[in-house]
Amino acid sequence: MKLYDYVLSPSCYKVRLMAALAGVKLEIRPVDFHPGAEHRGTELLALNPAGSIPILEEGDLILTESAAMLAYLAAKAAPEWLGSGAPEEAARIQQWLSFAHRLTASLGGARLHEMLLRPGDIGALQAQGIAALRELEAGLVEQGLRGMRFLASDQPTVADIACFPYVALAPDGGIPLDPYPAIRLWSRAIRGLDNFIEMPGIHRLHELRPEPHVEPGEV
Amino acid sequence: MMQDAMVDEWYPVGLFSQLDVNGRKTALMGEPIEVALDAEDRAKVTCGDGRTLPVCVRYGHVWSSLGKPQKDLFAIPEADQPGRRLVDVGVIRVRCSPLRAVENFLDIAHFPFVHTDILGAEPHTEVEDYKVEIRQQEDEVWATQVKFYQPKAAKSASGGITTEYMYRVPAPTCSVLYKTCPPRPCEWDVITLFVQPLAEDLCDVWPWMALFDDVTPMTDLIHFQQTIFLQDRSILENQIPRLLPLDPGMEIPTRADLTSVAYRRWLKRHNYTYGAQLVAQ
Amino acid sequence: MLSDKTGSWTPVALSADLPAGTVMPARTPAGRIALWRSQSGRAAASADRCPHRGMRLSHGFVRGEALSCIYHGWSYARTGNCLRIPAHPGLAPPETIRVETHEVEECGGVIWVAVGVPTAQPPGLEGVAPLRSLTAHAAVAAIETAAGAKAGAGGLVWQAQDAQQIRLLLAPQGDEQTLIHVLLDDNSSLSQRIAASRAVERLRRTAEDLQTKGIAP
Ligand SMILES: N[C@H](CCC(=O)N[C@@H](CS)C(=O)NCC(=O)O)C(=O)O
Ligand code: FES
Ligand SMILES: [Fe+2]
Repeated sequence: MKLYDYVLSPSCYKVRLMAALAGVKLEIRPVDFHPGAEHRGTELLALNPAGSIPILEEGDLILTESAAMLAYLAAKAAPEWLGSGAPEEAARIQQWLSFAHRLTASLGGARLHEMLLRPGDIGALQAQGIAALRELEAGLVEQGLRGMRFLASDQPTVADIACFPYVALAPDGGIPLDPYPAIRLWSRAIRGLDNFIEMPGIHRLHELRPEPHVEPGEV
Repeated sequence: MMQDAMVDEWYPVGLFSQLDVNGRKTALMGEPIEVALDAEDRAKVTCGDGRTLPVCVRYGHVWSSLGKPQKDLFAIPEADQPGRRLVDVGVIRVRCSPLRAVENFLDIAHFPFVHTDILGAEPHTEVEDYKVEIRQQEDEVWATQVKFYQPKAAKSASGGITTEYMYRVPAPTCSVLYKTCPPRPCEWDVITLFVQPLAEDLCDVWPWMALFDDVTPMTDLIHFQQTIFLQDRSILENQIPRLLPLDPGMEIPTRADLTSVAYRRWLKRHNYTYGAQLVAQ
Repeated sequence: MLSDKTGSWTPVALSADLPAGTVMPARTPAGRIALWRSQSGRAAASADRCPHRGMRLSHGFVRGEALSCIYHGWSYARTGNCLRIPAHPGLAPPETIRVETHEVEECGGVIWVAVGVPTAQPPGLEGVAPLRSLTAHAAVAAIETAAGAKAGAGGLVWQAQDAQQIRLLLAPQGDEQTLIHVLLDDNSSLSQRIAASRAVERLRRTAEDLQTKGIAP
C-alpha cells in the first residue's frame, strides 16, 4: 500500500497514524509539497486531479480522501476501529468524519497561513477554527457525561483519528488549545494509545517512560 | 529610537529559485519590501518607500539590507566544495524573536526532549564540556568540540552514533553548523539557519544545507530538516518573553549553555538588539 | 474573586480535568500558571515560565512527584525548587534555581489557587457538583447581563430556560475573557446534565453577542 505523503501534513499524518495503530506497513512516497508544490505537478495530478495529498494507492484502488483511507486501513487490519455498528455510534462516526473537513478548512487553513505563508483571511480562518473547536469540546463533554472517552464510543474509532491531527496542531495556526479541557483529556487519551506515533509539532509523552537514572559519566 | 546596528546587516528575503517577475511581498525589520526578478533575471529588492535596496544572491537565497552593509555576506567556503548537495529547505514562519530562533539552533541540550529518537534520547542527556570563543578577527561566535549521542543523526544515518558539532554565528540572525558526516568521516556536513527578521517578534526561517549524501532523494533531505525545525517551532512560539532577554538576571544558563551565553554577549557588545529585551520585566 | 484583605482564591479548573500525572495551563489575576497533579494525586501550581529559557511549563510533563519542562527536561518539585538538570546528570541543582509557586486548595471538585495569602479557605459548595468549564470571550458584566443575575460570593445562580438552576463560578482571564465553571445540583440526571451543558453554550453565545455589540454595562 503506497502513501503519497508529506511529513508536515496533518491529513497525511491521519493515514500514517491509523496505519501504525492498525499495524499496517505503508510504503511511503514523499511528496515535495513545500517548497516544491509537487502535489500540483503532472504526475500527482494524474492520480488526484484535486491536487491534494494524501493519496493512497493499492493495485487499481486510488483513494484521495483521508476518511476513506482510514476506513480502508481499519476494514483490512483492525475492524474494531470502525465501531460496533450500533445505530447511534455509527451515526456519530459519520458525523465527526464529515465534521473533520471543517477542521481541515479552518484550523488547517490557519496553519498553512501562519506557518507556510499561504494567502488567506487569517481572522476568518481562526474564528472558524475556534467555532469548530468549541463544537468538538461540547461533543466531548457530552460523551464524558455518558461515560465515554472518545468521539463515538468508549473505544477510539476512525472518527477520532480523522479529527485529532488538525486539533492537536491548532496552535501552529495561532489558535491556542488552552481553553478546552475536554479536548485536552481526549488528546491525551489518543496520544497514550499503544503504537501511537507523533508528527512534528506533537511532542512525545515523556511521562510514559520512567525517569532514567544515570550516574554521572555513565553516558 | 536609536538605530539598531542590525539595519546594516544582510538578511535572507527569498529563495532565488522561486523568484519570478511578479515578485514576492514580504517585510524586513518592520518595513514592507518586494523581492522580484528584473528583466535581466536578476534579483531586485524594493522597499515600501520606493528605495532600491542592496542585493546579493548566495547559498540559494536572495539577501538584502535596509541599511548600508559594511562588508560582503559572510563566507561559507564549503558551499563551493565539489560533491556537495545543496538543499533549499524552504521558508517556515515563526512567531518569535529572530534571535530566539538562532539561539535555539545553537543548543544541543534539548535534543532528547524535543527531537526524541532522532537527534537525542534519554538517558543520553549529558552535555559534555566544549569550547566557546568569540573569534576576534572574523568577529564570529564559535563553539567547537561539541559532542552528543544521537539515535538518528541524519537521513543517511542507520543507527545511533556520537556526533560531533561545530557551531558558528557569522551574523546576528544566521548560524552555520558543521556536523559529523556519516558517509565521509573526514568531512563535515553543513547545515544553516538563515533568519529573516520580519518584526522583533516574528520571523521567516530559511534552513539550508550543503551535504555529502549521494543516496538520499532530495525530498527526503528536505523533509528531514523540516521535521526537525517544526519540532523546534512549537517550542519557539511558547517561550516567554517572546524577545530574547539580554539581561543576565532574567534566565538561568548552565555550562551546557555557554554558546548561548557567548551569543548574547556578542549581540550586546555590537548593539544588535532588534528582537532583544534589554531590561528585565 | 473571593478576596479578603490579604489575598484571594481563584477557581482555576475542575479537579476532574486534571488527572494524576498531568499538567495544564491556567490563569490567575497574577498571571499564567502551570497547574499539575503528581502521580500520588497532589495538585500544585507554578508560574508558567521555566527559569532556564522561558519555556511554558504547562507544555511539560509530570513524572512521579515532579513537573518537567519539555524544552531541556529540567524538573521541579511542588515547592518550586529545581530537582534535576538532565544536561548535567551529576549536578545537584543549586537552591537558587526555582520557579515561583502558588498555594492550591481543592474542594467540592474545584481547584482554587491563591494569589497573595488569603486568610480564609475557599468557599464550600454544598449540594452542587461540577459539570464542566468553558471560556467565554466576554467580560463578567456581559455574562451577568445575559444571565439576568449578579455573581455573589458563592458564584452566580442562573435560572436557565428549559433547564434546572445552574450555578456559575466566574474567573476573569484578562482581555475580556472569562472562565466559567458550571455547577449543578449533585442529584441531576444524565439528561439534565446534558441539557445544562447545552444551556451554558447558549448563555455564552448571548454574552459574547452583548460584548461585541457593546451592550453590556
Ligand atoms: N482530500 C482531503 C485533502 C486534505 C488536505 O487538505 N490536504 C492538504 C495538505 S495537508 C493539501 O493537499 N492541500 C493542497 C494545497 O493546499 O495545495 C483529505 O484527504 O482529507
Ligand atoms: S527552558 Fe525549561 S528546561 Fe530549558
Ligand atoms: Fe531543535
